Amino acid sequence: MSTVADTSSITDSGRGILHRLRGLVANPWGKPRALMVITWAYMIWTIVPVVIAIMFSFNDGRSISVWQGFNATRWYWADPVYSVWQDAGLREALFQSLKLAGLDMLIATPIGVLLALGLARWRGYGARPANFLMLFPLITPEIVMGVSLYLVFQYVYTFIHPSTTAQVLGQVTFSISYVVIVVRGRLLSIGREYEEAAADLGATPAECLRLVLLPLMLPAILASMMIVFAVSIDNFVIAQWLSCGAGCDTIPIKVYNAARQAPLPSINALAAINVYVTLLAVLAAFVLYRFLTRGERVKGSQGSTITKMGSIDFN
Amino acid sequence: MTQGTDGTIQLVGLTKRFGEQTAVDGISMDIPGGEFFSMLGPSGCGKTTTLRMIAGFERPDSGSIVLNGQNMEHAPPHRRPVNTVFQSYALFPHLDVFNNVAFGLRRGGVDKNEVNRRTGEALELVMLNGFEKRRPSELSGGQQQRVALARALVLKPAGLLLDEPLGALDAKLRRQLQVELKALQEQVGITFIYVTHDQNEALTMSDRIAVMKDGHIEQMGGPREIYEAPETVFVADFLGASNLMDATARGSDGRGRCRVEIGDRELNAALGDSASAGACKVTIRPERVRLEKTDTMSERENCLGGRVERSIYLGNAFQLIVQLDIGCRIDVEIQNTGDRETSFDVGCRVCAELPADALRVLRSGDDARPTAVAASESPAPDAAPAADTAEPPRPRAGQAGA
Repeated sequence: MSTVADTSSITDSGRGILHRLRGLVANPWGKPRALMVITWAYMIWTIVPVVIAIMFSFNDGRSISVWQGFNATRWYWADPVYSVWQDAGLREALFQSLKLAGLDMLIATPIGVLLALGLARWRGYGARPANFLMLFPLITPEIVMGVSLYLVFQYVYTFIHPSTTAQVLGQVTFSISYVVIVVRGRLLSIGREYEEAAADLGATPAECLRLVLLPLMLPAILASMMIVFAVSIDNFVIAQWLSCGAGCDTIPIKVYNAARQAPLPSINALAAINVYVTLLAVLAAFVLYRFLTRGERVKGSQGSTITKMGSIDFN
Repeated sequence: MTQGTDGTIQLVGLTKRFGEQTAVDGISMDIPGGEFFSMLGPSGCGKTTTLRMIAGFERPDSGSIVLNGQNMEHAPPHRRPVNTVFQSYALFPHLDVFNNVAFGLRRGGVDKNEVNRRTGEALELVMLNGFEKRRPSELSGGQQQRVALARALVLKPAGLLLDEPLGALDAKLRRQLQVELKALQEQVGITFIYVTHDQNEALTMSDRIAVMKDGHIEQMGGPREIYEAPETVFVADFLGASNLMDATARGSDGRGRCRVEIGDRELNAALGDSASAGACKVTIRPERVRLEKTDTMSERENCLGGRVERSIYLGNAFQLIVQLDIGCRIDVEIQNTGDRETSFDVGCRVCAELPADALRVLRSGDDARPTAVAASESPAPDAAPAADTAEPPRPRAGQAGA
């Protein structure tokens, strides 16, 4: 009797555990745990390599695969010969990357904003093809873009030699598209109403642009600046094709070259700096975006059109 | 922007086409200064396009707009003496309430003290003083609406254009603001052009209403005239509830009334064109039908036998659907007096009296369209399904009343 009762209770509890497990994953009323598991698995999978690379930039020894203790500064600036700061090649690569990204950001953003304004407000023939062509640099394989730019500078615009100038021009060429897409998305989502309201209240077209459109576009402009900075600082293909040699080497080029020889953790440090700078840029964009759109987040359920921002949304 | 002059607004033969579609088809109207004028119609009737042309956001294909006696043909929006209250308010989200209201004054080169004074006055006018530092997103819908109003009124325009300004608000607030808006208009004396699809709104507030359809004006007149003496089937049907019945007119009965034949019964109609003959439509408002419980067929004038088919409780009234013996079905509205005696049960026999002084004969002709007769209970077999598009120019109703 008791055995029967025991087995039944065991199977009961076994079934209970299975049932509860199943309920944990597939409970239609609970949290979407299966999705959460997949999401976290993906995130860990993508983050682990980056974390390992950054971790070895703090290695006390010369290995990039065997952990020999923690040293926060050695490969960044403390090592008198091999650290990023002391090794002239690495230091120059860092500055070259920052210079390219900064110039790219400052040149591509204003041009992109003007193009976005034109494209968003252009109606009639030509508007659709122009809008489509704007996507072209984004969908063209970067290697094709790099080779073509190289050939064009070599044979058509021969006054431009492989140099920092050529690298900046090449990066500006394709990063304008990011600006256009982000800013145009914002323009389309804010609609024409605010412009009309401004004109209705007596604002000239110039005042309308300065007092209404620019402030409303500012979050998108800043966001696109940061995107341009981020895609530019780790650009490899175009920078490589238009490089003038050792003096034009950027962080990615340096990392690529070093990886084929005997790399030191200083390369990890250089790559890690790249990651830090990109993260800082994105963080700055996020904070500024939140700050500039603080008046747009509606309390309560009622949302305005402007809350639904087009292509980029940090909310 | 600040010339507060006579405020007359004249439209002459205004036409606007979008591609193949004619949105506004030769509209003319003459609005005297200080009038509360409404453009009423279903969506797509061209009322908003007309308003946008007056504001200068759209360019008319032909016709002219005269504001304050000045032709506005070449004036861009920022040089027109009118201001707009947008349907979504379009308050600048990056500016606080004060700066939203002061925006127009600063563009007009008004000096700083004057800006402060007039902005304060405008906010006081809409009862929003104390809200200066708030952002639009921190205001309720009704408050945003008031800011939009203050922002437009502060410039003392010759005319204020309002594009369904109460559309986004809930029913109770809307009724409250209707009254406030009308009072405000009387207080400031500015010409208001009010666009709406809500007939109640138009009736409660307007001095004059233009009922629009397919880009032209169906009828123009005071609220009472429009509601009680609709000239076309469309107007009768669009404003309030109407019973529309197909009938045959048999000419005048000699006492200024028209003899109309519905089914096999002949009724007398005192309203509308008494001399008309042939196929026509007859209309009566549900609240004007008188019902009596009866078992016998009444032979009294304009009395029709029928049966209550449905009774819908509306709170303040009952809506009864009565199937008449002559074949058609009519809506009847009976006030809820709380008296059990006057309530009608489903299925009971009734006698429906359609008093001659409430029965109107409407011209048929150009209005025999499927859209216009949608509320008519008897189907119109002759109406082609797509007859409402691409028609030759038709005689315009209502322009004579301008």
